[in-house]
Amino acid sequence: MISRRALELATAVLTGSFGVAVIVSSLDNGIGWSSAGVDAGTFPFLTGTIVVLGSLYNLVRGVLPAATLANVPIAITSIELRRLAGLFVPAAIFVAAIPLAGMYVASALYVFAVLAIPRHQSVPRALAMAGATALALYLVFERMFQVSLPHGALASALGF
Amino acid sequence: MDNLQELLHGFTIAVTVPHLVLMVVGVLLGILVGVLPGLGAPNGVSLLLPLTFGMQPVSAIILLSSMYWGALFGGSVTSILFNIPGEPSSVATTFDGYPMARDGRPTTALATAFGSAAFGALVGVILITFLASWVAQAALAFGPAEYFAVYFLAFASFVGMGGAAPIKTVVALALGFAIAAIGIDTVSGSVRLTMGVDELVKGVSFVVAVMGLFGIGELLVAVEEEFHARAVSSKIDWREVFRAVGRLPRHGVALLRSAAIGCWMGITPGGPTAASFMSYGIARRFSRRGRHFGTGEVEGIVSPETADHAAGTSALLPMLSLGIPGSATAAVMMGGLMIWGLNPGPMLFVDQKDFVWGLIASMYVGNIVAVALVLLTVPVFAALMRIPFVVIAPLIVIICVVGAYSVSNSYLDVVMMLGFGVVGYLFKKLFYPLAPLVLAIVIGDKAEDAFRQSMLISKGSLGIFFANKLVTCLIVGGIALLLLPLLLQLPRLWRKPASPATDAPVQERAII
Repeated sequence: MISRRALELATAVLTGSFGVAVIVSSLDNGIGWSSAGVDAGTFPFLTGTIVVLGSLYNLVRGVLPAATLANVPIAITSIELRRLAGLFVPAAIFVAAIPLAGMYVASALYVFAVLAIPRHQSVPRALAMAGATALALYLVFERMFQVSLPHGALASALGF
Repeated sequence: MDNLQELLHGFTIAVTVPHLVLMVVGVLLGILVGVLPGLGAPNGVSLLLPLTFGMQPVSAIILLSSMYWGALFGGSVTSILFNIPGEPSSVATTFDGYPMARDGRPTTALATAFGSAAFGALVGVILITFLASWVAQAALAFGPAEYFAVYFLAFASFVGMGGAAPIKTVVALALGFAIAAIGIDTVSGSVRLTMGVDELVKGVSFVVAVMGLFGIGELLVAVEEEFHARAVSSKIDWREVFRAVGRLPRHGVALLRSAAIGCWMGITPGGPTAASFMSYGIARRFSRRGRHFGTGEVEGIVSPETADHAAGTSALLPMLSLGIPGSATAAVMMGGLMIWGLNPGPMLFVDQKDFVWGLIASMYVGNIVAVALVLLTVPVFAALMRIPFVVIAPLIVIICVVGAYSVSNSYLDVVMMLGFGVVGYLFKKLFYPLAPLVLAIVIGDKAEDAFRQSMLISKGSLGIFFANKLVTCLIVGGIALLLLPLLLQLPRLWRKPASPATDAPVQERAII
């Protein structure tokens, strides 16, 4: 279970730390005024500052027990969290597998895994859908639009 | 009269067989992404973008804009038949559309929605026809300072009128600007904000951001809610279609009011989502049958639909004449324009007459095509909704991954897309607005350039933003919009000192 407050805090910290990174990094480019006009780092520095200040405000708003947040104490229930993970974790594994397995193999495996392992579909049907997905990707991208999708380290090791 | 002549010329470009075919293809694809939850108009348009690079710009924009119309209509279909908004902008349509369909009048609900949507779109296009070239004419005299002032006004209006928590909007905007600044600085040539990652030198494409924010993010929100597609009958009774459209003029006041709200929210970037909610809220307050709203009231469908489409259409006006997109999808299209080598803004009306008027003419034709196609294909797309979500979700993930990869054949883009997906989910969950973020990514560099050029002209003095009447008005207007949320808080504080804002959750609902 994740409370609305924790989620607000996490998001504010996330945006705030991005803001800090932007500020630090923009200092390298120089901020202020030079002979060539406004320095390259000035605009990012300003936006970074706004992000940090805004995030601090959201952080404080998130911590204070304001009535608006008290109305919805729970943002994500544990069942919802499981559903989220059920979608996101396989997707992340799929993305992580692309450099090794290539887009076609990885997407076929991905489709097969999400359909067959939780038994949403029978194994033969899941196999058929996985094959159809990879084939459709190949036909549309490699053939019709001549966009080469990554074939993966495994395929190049095998000589494709 | 000049405009009408140009428009007629535009029709000779738009009404040709290849362009009509593109419209049909675009509208059908648009309805498809509109119907599927997780895929919306912004992703759909960015997915198609790489495929348009070989086309004539006018053909490409006709394809993309038709897709936009299709998506706007497609979102309403699922709202009414399944109580599942396919697009954020059609959430308000579910309030009365679904109850009416459930009561055994699905055809009436759909026909009312499409009829009023077409009316809203028509008002938007007429507005563009007569106003766009005039605005562009005025904008031709703009210098960098005026441009920056217009950008400032546009972003301030998001904060003042977008409906989301103002500070969250500010954070979303500033994040967008920072993301836009990543990569090579166009003015000085120095590399910025790459944080040591060499591959980031090319910058972060808005397509990658859109795929993650709207695609994966929306998918995560959808899977969490685990909706059940309990459909009402999707059979269309054609006689009832004409009867329902024939009854629309009775709601003339609601139609005109909603169209006006929609056009206003489209031009000052508030976006279709905010427009449809605002229109629904105002209709409920002013209608004589206001307390029947939510039970399948005709005006409860007419108001959000008209405003949604009026806003969606008129969002293209500032994009064409000023180079400022009025909605997230318009921002993606503007990114396309820049990739095709066109410079969005007033010069389009001088250099690219065929493009501009071909597009405007195609908006008239495209919306007619969209209404006809959406009515014909309702049963087909309704059947699509019966495919279980667990099957559709991985396919949408794959589409987003491939879409992000094909922008510049970069694996890093795919990883970033997934990251944007998490951010999109968090932002949606906590009511941070996404449209300003995308807008800032697309036009951040242009706004920055305008700012730096005006600083060069004035030798570093901010006085240039108050140098003449026009620029002063724009800046003051922008500041007023920024302060608007604060001013609205004041009377409440006056009445009940230290009382917490109890109606905030209602407002928050309005920007989902």
